[in-house]
Amino acid sequence: MNDILAVRTSESPQRAASPGEANETLLSVRDATIQFPAPKGRKGAVVTAVKNVSIDIRRAEKFVILGPSGCGKSTLLTAMGGFIPLSGGAIELEGRPVRKPSMQTVMVFQDFFQLLPWKTVRANVEFALRQRWPRMPRGERRERAEHFVDLVGLSPQLNQYPHTLSGGQKQRCAIARAFSVSPEVLLMDEPFGALDAINRERMQGELNRIWEEGRPTIVFVTHDVTEAVHLGHRIMVMTEGPGQIRRLLDNPHVGMLPYDTQGQESVAELREMLIPAG
Amino acid sequence: MATTETDARAAGLNPSAFSEIMPRLRKPIIVLGLVALWEAWVRLFDVPELLFPAFSDVLVALITGLGIGGEPILWAYTWQTLSVVLQAYVVSVVLAVVLTGFAINSAWGKELLSTVTGIFQPLPSIALLPMAVLWFGFSKESLIFVVVMSMVWPLAASLTVGFATVPPTLLRLGRNYELSRLGAMWHILLPSALPAMIGGLRVGWGFGWRTIVAAELVFGATGNDSGIGWYINNSRVFLQITEGFAGILVVVIIGFITESLFRVIQRFTTHRWGMEAA
Ligand SMILES: Nc1ncnc2c1ncn2[C@@H]1O[C@H](COP(=O)(O)OP(=O)(O)OP(=O)(O)O)[C@@H](O)[C@H]1O
Ligand SMILES: [Mg+2]
Repeated sequence: MNDILAVRTSESPQRAASPGEANETLLSVRDATIQFPAPKGRKGAVVTAVKNVSIDIRRAEKFVILGPSGCGKSTLLTAMGGFIPLSGGAIELEGRPVRKPSMQTVMVFQDFFQLLPWKTVRANVEFALRQRWPRMPRGERRERAEHFVDLVGLSPQLNQYPHTLSGGQKQRCAIARAFSVSPEVLLMDEPFGALDAINRERMQGELNRIWEEGRPTIVFVTHDVTEAVHLGHRIMVMTEGPGQIRRLLDNPHVGMLPYDTQGQESVAELREMLIPAG
Repeated sequence: MATTETDARAAGLNPSAFSEIMPRLRKPIIVLGLVALWEAWVRLFDVPELLFPAFSDVLVALITGLGIGGEPILWAYTWQTLSVVLQAYVVSVVLAVVLTGFAINSAWGKELLSTVTGIFQPLPSIALLPMAVLWFGFSKESLIFVVVMSMVWPLAASLTVGFATVPPTLLRLGRNYELSRLGAMWHILLPSALPAMIGGLRVGWGFGWRTIVAAELVFGATGNDSGIGWYINNSRVFLQITEGFAGILVVVIIGFITESLFRVIQRFTTHRWGMEAA
């Protein structure tokens, strides 16, 4: 399972910064501002979680949003998914405004409670498929579910219930489910955040491998610099306070191995950037 | 009880297997002990049969009443009572789901339901029986009405708790996969609320069962049919005390059976899915 990943990454430690020459914009965020009512303040007082963010997510790229805890990454991502409204600006998917959640933008959450506990691994994936393609024949649905479960290396646990899975296995299942419905954009909010370091590294490699099949568009949120360099074709660094873009950079080291020295330089550079100014 | 262990050894069971089945045997042993006490007390002190018949006599009356060496009259009474409770049960469950389903969608609805539940839950619904007779006459409807009134409020209360404790991530998942209101109810809310719901169903059944027996005692026959409560009361009137005790035994046994039925349901649902500790 991990051999595949090892071979792939060592074959091509450096990949073109962003896939697809067309650089076609798929999801565009225009001047997005997101505010919440202040927890216990005067009437009308607000907390600005995201301020004037504009980005273009390109088709078939892995776009990483990197920033310290509390800088508004999750808020921005949930807004991209249509879960929360914007206070200002616009978010468009292929030119159409995103108003509510849909299966075009499927989310993978950080926590382990995103699987339906009363459904097996297979049934969790099939549930999503049934929602996506209600008329898909049974056999085809089964096959497709099995394929994606296999893709994340969860075949042995196909008929297990979520509570019998490890944290990493739960996230694999969630990823299989999200990938199986072929959304336009996959929104991943620190899906490996609750895993231990070794498991996290392994899952990053696996995600790169899975992405190769079908090359979906992924927006990946993390506060882990190494993770960002490992995964993102492009990395957007957010600052604290009101969440704003600090920098947007191409990452030539996507898929790098942990001991890749060039990659390490980027890591150090990014780490520097995350240290609050002043 | 000291001989049981030696018996177990003699039967070829090793001590560890014995310690495994021991917890399961505890309850039957206690029941047998109580029954033996009952029998011994009646026989030793020569308690008059018209006050308190011996267990063995009651058992004979029960078996006869069930049709072995006699008229199978108990079945009809028991079924009559059970059918009223079951009908009321179905009505209550549907009513509770609908009421709670509406309540969770609006603040007013929520307040209304919690107020009404607060009014009716502490009220022993048997107190409504005279009014029910006024409205529905001496009919099955009157019985169903009071039984529903005893079951629906604890059910609604437990469902409210169940719905309130659905993991927010699962609610987001439902929105992400474009579930309709009904779909979210069916696929997310109800299964998530199942542990609480089973608790409510248990409590509801208990209330309903007590109410129906009490109602029949007060009420006598409903039209042509009469239930087990009526049978118990009638036995007293005709000084067939042993038969009356057999009736009580039936009520107790049904209580036992439903309780184990709930445990079986839990084993195949919430325990199996890891939603409740076994
Ligand atoms: N529902 C809410 N109501 C009020 N404030 C909120 C709400 N959600 C988020 N915030 C605030 O918005 C800011 C950004 O939160 P967000 O969850 O987006 O951070 P994050 O970058 O994802 O952090 P982490 O890496 O810890 O997950 C925080 O200051 C947070 O307190
Ligand atoms: Mg977050």
